Amino acid sequence: MRDTGDALVLLLAGGIGSRLNLLVGHRAKPAVPFGGLYRIIDFSLSNVMNSGLTRVGVLTQYKPLSLMAHIGSGEAWDFTGRTRGVKILPPRTGEKDSDWYKGTADAIRQNIDFVENNPADQVVILSGDHIYRMDLDAMLAYHQHKKADITIGMMVVPKRDIHQFGAGIVDGDNRLVDWEEKPAIPKTNLASMGIYIFDTRYLLRTLAQNREEVDFGMDIIPRAITQDRVFAYPFYGYWRDVGTIQAYWEANMDILRPGSGIAPEEWEIRSNPEYGSRPMDRQAARFLSGCEVRSSMISAGCVIEGTVTDSVLSPGVWVRKGARVHNSVIFHDSVIEENAVVDLAICDKRVRVGEGAVLGHGDRLQVANRLFPKHLYTGISLIGKEASIPAHARIGRNCRVNLGFAGEDFNGSLELDDGESV
Amino acid sequence: MKSRPSTLAMVLAGGRVDELGVLTHYRPKSAVPFGGFARVIDFALSNLLHSGIERVAILSQYRSYSLINHIGTGASWDMVGRNRGISILPPFKGYSSPYWYRGSADAVYQNLDFIRHLSPSVLLILSGDHIYHMDYSQMIRCHHQWDADLTAAFVEVPLASASRFGVAEIADEEPHGGRLLGYEEKPENPRHTWASLTLFCFKPAVLMEVLTKNQDAASYEFGRDIIPMMMQQNYKVYGYTFRGYWGYTKTIDEYWQTSMDLLGPEPKIDMEAWGIRTNLHHRDIANRQPVRIGPQGTLSNSLAYDGCVIEGTVRNSILFPGVHVHSGAEINDSILFFDNIVHEGACLNRVVSDVDTVFSREAVVGTPAENGAAGSVTVIGSGNVVPEGIRIGSGCSVAPSLAVWPDEKNVQDGEVLQ
Repeated sequence: MRDTGDALVLLLAGGIGSRLNLLVGHRAKPAVPFGGLYRIIDFSLSNVMNSGLTRVGVLTQYKPLSLMAHIGSGEAWDFTGRTRGVKILPPRTGEKDSDWYKGTADAIRQNIDFVENNPADQVVILSGDHIYRMDLDAMLAYHQHKKADITIGMMVVPKRDIHQFGAGIVDGDNRLVDWEEKPAIPKTNLASMGIYIFDTRYLLRTLAQNREEVDFGMDIIPRAITQDRVFAYPFYGYWRDVGTIQAYWEANMDILRPGSGIAPEEWEIRSNPEYGSRPMDRQAARFLSGCEVRSSMISAGCVIEGTVTDSVLSPGVWVRKGARVHNSVIFHDSVIEENAVVDLAICDKRVRVGEGAVLGHGDRLQVANRLFPKHLYTGISLIGKEASIPAHARIGRNCRVNLGFAGEDFNGSLELDDGESV
Repeated sequence: MKSRPSTLAMVLAGGRVDELGVLTHYRPKSAVPFGGFARVIDFALSNLLHSGIERVAILSQYRSYSLINHIGTGASWDMVGRNRGISILPPFKGYSSPYWYRGSADAVYQNLDFIRHLSPSVLLILSGDHIYHMDYSQMIRCHHQWDADLTAAFVEVPLASASRFGVAEIADEEPHGGRLLGYEEKPENPRHTWASLTLFCFKPAVLMEVLTKNQDAASYEFGRDIIPMMMQQNYKVYGYTFRGYWGYTKTIDEYWQTSMDLLGPEPKIDMEAWGIRTNLHHRDIANRQPVRIGPQGTLSNSLAYDGCVIEGTVRNSILFPGVHVHSGAEINDSILFFDNIVHEGACLNRVVSDVDTVFSREAVVGTPAENGAAGSVTVIGSGNVVPEGIRIGSGCSVAPSLAVWPDEKNVQDGEVLQ
């Protein structure tokens, strides 16, 4: 038996993550593939497993099918057994509450029966869409040692980024004395990672108090720091919210650089190997004579005849003769046909880039996408699931090609200018 | 209604083959790694899966742990369910059988009660040691059509190498074979080219009859004893002709040669098309990250599975999960099993290296191709640390976890270290 007891884990996995644009066109953000053969949620689930916690509820909401299939029985993360388990908690219509979750606290409140039915001294609340490794058992020990009501995982981030997070100020004992949610003008650089440990009785009490309090960061914590024992648990290490296309791409590129701090295998991150549309096992990646691969991650089932540099390839990607892939993230079973060029792109599953096509043409990286200027503005082009790029097409920077696109050209032309979409 | 499986498959997987030497110190031949992530027996098991055969028994007696661990529940091959399953049948002592398995036929004989219990309408007996892709259901159909007592599968081999196999003369070779006219086990001067695949369909009642008769003999092998006896006693014995790829791995050189058939632009062994499945939990295959290739890493005409880190040069080679090739290391024409580490300046040529072996800096194993004709294969047992700066020739063999390495830094061609 662990000294810290068997805390209950609630994983918030319902977010839309709309800034990931086409990547969340048909799946929830936690189910987005990452690092070749993982999904974003694998990091949180593996952290839970590696911390020795065995009871998990996953709160889903937005497009949950892909996520539910991925979690399956939970066996991949050792959550099967007599007392172990991972339960999917879909949104429910209650007698009074017919609305979807209004915020993080509201989501937990609507599943309060699950908390009551799984008695534990503490409840660990995590987000399912972050890339990091953390020992939650150590955080639980810290929480108990501090006799805290709430403990919040926090880390130092650059001041220019603090506006995306909950920001806190602590005293010499790491007790939170001030809190601002997503401050425009930051007073601190200590950011909340969206990882909370609650004393269970405190959680039940505080959620019952005021139903208008729907979000932990916005409502509950600002009030709690004035009256209750709320502590920051400092985290040092690699942690990313891959909520934007740019952050998502950068975190993938980080895996390619030893020393960047992210190392999925060393972190013992597990995925579900059984899940997928293919019933067969992938064979070893095949590197043919004349291929050139540098600074890249290549998953099982890939066949490389051409050139791949600084890229992350999911299982089953085929890079044919003369094709070149640079600075890109390519999902499962995509095909880059002969002599095609892919530079600075994210291709979803089963994308086909036709023979001789150029994806990522020219150097006008700064021309943002016209429809989604806040999503695509650093040069990355985004190709939706199962889209097919016609042979010899030329696609510029910050372009967006919709899911399943199968046209022979783009409105009569084989060229798609920088910042354009189809 | 298909309520119960009508075919029972029994896989002969217990053998240790001396010629594979250090690779079978700790595992039977069927559990030897093959193809960058799988094991030899995965070919037979995947064939069974794709042939729709759902009731399988594995006869195993030599060093079974690796095999038992690999088979697990059988879920990897979809063989878990109400009427589906893989049973491992180890030898046991009972009232009537005080022996270990004394041969392939004796192994089946000792489990006749298991066969009676399942009462299949046809019994498929096959070896777990071969690399091939075959739909057994077609052979079973022929077996029924011919109303044969025994249907044995054969594949054409060059006459020169036929003496190593059971060799048959078959009446109608087209389209699928016919009555067996003659059969010789490992003939000195073979006259025919159809070699036995060690793959048999039996009528269960006939099998029980002939195995019981065989108990009075001094030898208990299907090829050497059962087929000749059935031919002699005029049972209906048919030959099924198989025309696909057939790879065998009886010696280190054959193992290497068969593995090389995985490479090239159109490999003879296409594990993808063949739908080969393995147990992804064995040696933690499922939890490895994608192959990471460093800024100086290069691979050419090679296979590498998840978990590999390539910072050096790899040519014409097969790397199992977790192999780490440091920068400045060079690997040619070699097969490295799980979790080998090759340090800077080391150079491997035509090497088969078992799991968990480390090649220290500047170790040179095998003969580099530029020094003339490539020699035969050098095999390194598991768990070794090959010393820094050592020269090991071609055709050498190093025992697993060698306790004492020779003082001189030069191991001659063909030397055996144990």
